[in-house]
Amino acid sequence: MSDLGVKAKRDGQCIIVFKPSGKIIEVEQGTLLLDAARRAGVEVITPCGGFGRCGRCKVQVEMGEVARRQSAHLTQAEIDKGSALACMTVVKGDAIVYVEPKEKVKLAPPLETAAEKIALPIACEWQRNPRIRKYYLEVEPPTLADATNDLDRLRRELKLQHGVEKVSVSLPVVKNLATALRQDGWKVTTALEYDGDDQQARLIGVLSGDRSSTSWGVAVDIGTTTVVVYLVDLLTSKVVDAATAYNGQINAGDDVISRIIYSQRGDGLAQLQGMVVKTINDLLIELGGRNRVKLPEINEMVVAGNTTMTHLFLGINAKYIREEPYVPVTTHPPVVRAAELGVRINHEAGVYAFPSVGSYVGGDIVAGVLSSAMFQTDKLTLFIDVGTNGEIVLGSADWLMTCACSAGPAFEGAGVRDGMRAIPGAIEEIWINTESFEPTYRVMGNLPPQGICGSGLLSALAELFVSGVIDKGGRIRRELGTPRVRVGEHGAEYVVAWASETQDEHDIVLTEADINNLIRAKAAIYAGFSVLVNSVGLTMADVEQIYIAGGFGRHINIEKAIQIGLLPDMPWDRFKYLGNTSALGAYTALVCQDMRSVADEIAAKMTYLELSADNSFMNEYTSALFLPHTDMTAFPTVADLLENTREKLVLTRGSSVV
Amino acid sequence: MPVTVQTPVEKWNGAVREVTLGATKADGGTRGRTVTVGGSATLPFLHFEGAIPNRPVIAIQVQDIDPLDWSPTLRSAWGDVTKDVLKWAAKAVDLGADIIALNLRSAHPDSGNRGPEEIAETVKSVLGAVDLPLIIYGPGVPEKDNEVLVRAAEVAAGERVAIGLCEQNNYRTIVAACLANGHVAIARAPIDVNIQKQINILMSDMGLPLDRILMDPTTGALGYGLEYSFSVMERLRLSALQGDGMTQMPTICTIGDEAWRAKEAKVSQGVPEVWGDFAKRGVVWETITATTLLNAGADILVLRHPQAVENVRKAIDQLIA
Repeated sequence: MSDLGVKAKRDGQCIIVFKPSGKIIEVEQGTLLLDAARRAGVEVITPCGGFGRCGRCKVQVEMGEVARRQSAHLTQAEIDKGSALACMTVVKGDAIVYVEPKEKVKLAPPLETAAEKIALPIACEWQRNPRIRKYYLEVEPPTLADATNDLDRLRRELKLQHGVEKVSVSLPVVKNLATALRQDGWKVTTALEYDGDDQQARLIGVLSGDRSSTSWGVAVDIGTTTVVVYLVDLLTSKVVDAATAYNGQINAGDDVISRIIYSQRGDGLAQLQGMVVKTINDLLIELGGRNRVKLPEINEMVVAGNTTMTHLFLGINAKYIREEPYVPVTTHPPVVRAAELGVRINHEAGVYAFPSVGSYVGGDIVAGVLSSAMFQTDKLTLFIDVGTNGEIVLGSADWLMTCACSAGPAFEGAGVRDGMRAIPGAIEEIWINTESFEPTYRVMGNLPPQGICGSGLLSALAELFVSGVIDKGGRIRRELGTPRVRVGEHGAEYVVAWASETQDEHDIVLTEADINNLIRAKAAIYAGFSVLVNSVGLTMADVEQIYIAGGFGRHINIEKAIQIGLLPDMPWDRFKYLGNTSALGAYTALVCQDMRSVADEIAAKMTYLELSADNSFMNEYTSALFLPHTDMTAFPTVADLLENTREKLVLTRGSSVV
Repeated sequence: MPVTVQTPVEKWNGAVREVTLGATKADGGTRGRTVTVGGSATLPFLHFEGAIPNRPVIAIQVQDIDPLDWSPTLRSAWGDVTKDVLKWAAKAVDLGADIIALNLRSAHPDSGNRGPEEIAETVKSVLGAVDLPLIIYGPGVPEKDNEVLVRAAEVAAGERVAIGLCEQNNYRTIVAACLANGHVAIARAPIDVNIQKQINILMSDMGLPLDRILMDPTTGALGYGLEYSFSVMERLRLSALQGDGMTQMPTICTIGDEAWRAKEAKVSQGVPEVWGDFAKRGVVWETITATTLLNAGADILVLRHPQAVENVRKAIDQLIA
């Protein structure tokens, strides 16, 4: 193939042209197509982390020679037409490859709470011992008579004017010092960092002019799916603005396991670190622009994320998190300087990451427990963060137990045929008529529907169950005599929206397999509660309050969650939604450095229960694989509801078969 | 010095529910007698603790085609009658069966694939030939089960036969047939307490009265999961006695099917000498499996070998006395 428009080519090298972008790259023979695409700057999504498990990285090889590994995700007919999985195909020669352009998820995820409504979640004396202190100095310029060097001159003035005795400095600050001092006639503002109660200050910035009236910090929640940044005024402790975006690592895998797999390939770890740092930097630029804050004036950053996210952000090997016996490299990462990570705030700003408990209970949960104040309460509290993984903490001021249950991404819309993220076009709530079995639904953004998001799936499951479309085992009743129930190519399914109502003209359905996935997800979470509560010799009824955290938590309809047995059957006033407790915890530790030692205490106090090693988990899980639960006595209000529905139906349908 | 030991007596809130199989003329059927199982208000055979109103019973398995693949031990014990299901059933009656368990194996796609009409004739003739209560098993292939068991239930209407098997993914058709024709349905779960309870609930949710459900928690034969079956049956019984209505069904165990699947019962050549006399081995296997599960709370034992039937009956006699 000599007509590819590239003349000079070295031996053993192949030229790959990517369409429709027209990007060209020269790679060694044997290079993975996925790597070639990434190097060429062509985005190929790999939800499974590039392991050939999901089949989503399908591309068309229009010309040229490649070698494919066998995959269940490719039929012979597709191969004949040139289809290949980018993560399972190596380049054999020059080639032209068509990569379906991804509809860019431009829409940012919705922000939980408007910045002005975000308040410090727990009481703390944030003014007692500020970590960042800024001092304005007017420095006497040097003369032949007083030829003291710049740094000692600065130190002298800090002592004279502000009584600062001991100051350590680092090379980057020294390098910049001469210019900063002279730029505005020897008037400068210094930023000092005080670690804990240490009297030794660290000089982290010298800016020309008087900049002492502002002091900025950022609190960051690195979620597997979304990243949230709070811009905080350290002088007032207020959140000035907040911004959120999807974690840039999403294209490399949907869940932590896929990310870890991705991190193990070539320079995957560095790539993933770069992706999340870029997401954070983009959000910082957005916040800086909107609030006229120069990023180098941000002097402190606190990050909370799950253990994998924290490892990947810091560039720490995450491999052993997913291998038995599941140990992270560290649960207490050291404070690093922003420049080391490529975060575009003051290069010398400290970046503090929340400590974690273990591989599957991370800094986000420690931050959550901190911000929820459950470590101070006398009431027995159950804290749950429902996401891809359900993390659960049980306890009070006296003790804390925790476990993680892998619920799978079903409630985030993955692993469900017409599931999708909670973005405009997603069906977010569904109601089903108990007599006609006809649904009504509400779509985010009032658009024609495109799919169903987590909250929609949860309400669909509850409605299908209560209306009797499915039985307690999750099987669709095929004999209902409604066109909504049919047997499709994926087995029995319920049609939520006909093609004519939808955005891309396909029937939006829930299949029996989808329903089973959702039941498995809810069962894993409920079984986690049961095992945790039983492990300390208590029962669910002893739990006095339930705190719900996390993005999905906001959309959980408590009533429906109880109906399907995702949440325990308790009076609704015992449930409280706390918002993004991970970001709130990071914010707390940003403005109040004393809270960092509290976070350490919390992490040390949390006893981790490994569910996979607990012999009662499987029993609890199987028992929860039923709607709402095999033990109906644990769900009295649901039993009543079913009884009432049944009676009503006997009246209207004249049938006792419900 | 004599030591007095107080026998610990547990007080239970619940009991196993009584289920009656078969209907006499008085009840609209044609059976000569009925068999009632269950009712225990205590763990198996703890006569000092609670009532045990009904003794465990034996169902003898017969098939509607000659089971050529059965162990030679079984085939020689039954002789020619296996060629004719009516003669086989009559001999089972002579051997003292409490119930005849009719296995409609001829409907299996690999063994004749008989259709519902032929099956209906078989069921009718067996009902005519013997007057004991009947258990009717389908061939174990969901689509065929649904097809032939519905027909079998129709022709046996009013006879209160037990029909199986209902499993979590295939129960609605059989339950509906039992509802419509006054039969008892058998709920099978794969050696799992929770799933057993779930299938029981699903069946009762369809409106099937609780005294028309038997549960089959799946039998593991000696050496092939017997201890699992034991433990699951024990847990189900404890749960029933503690008052959980959804685990109070009497238990039926397909002992013969499982014991005779064991290599020890089937294979005579090339096995260690220490295994002993092949002619006795299968019978021992079936007997031990049955008597073990009697002690776990089995109410109906479905057996194959005449000698095992005799052994197990003796065991029951002694345990119930």
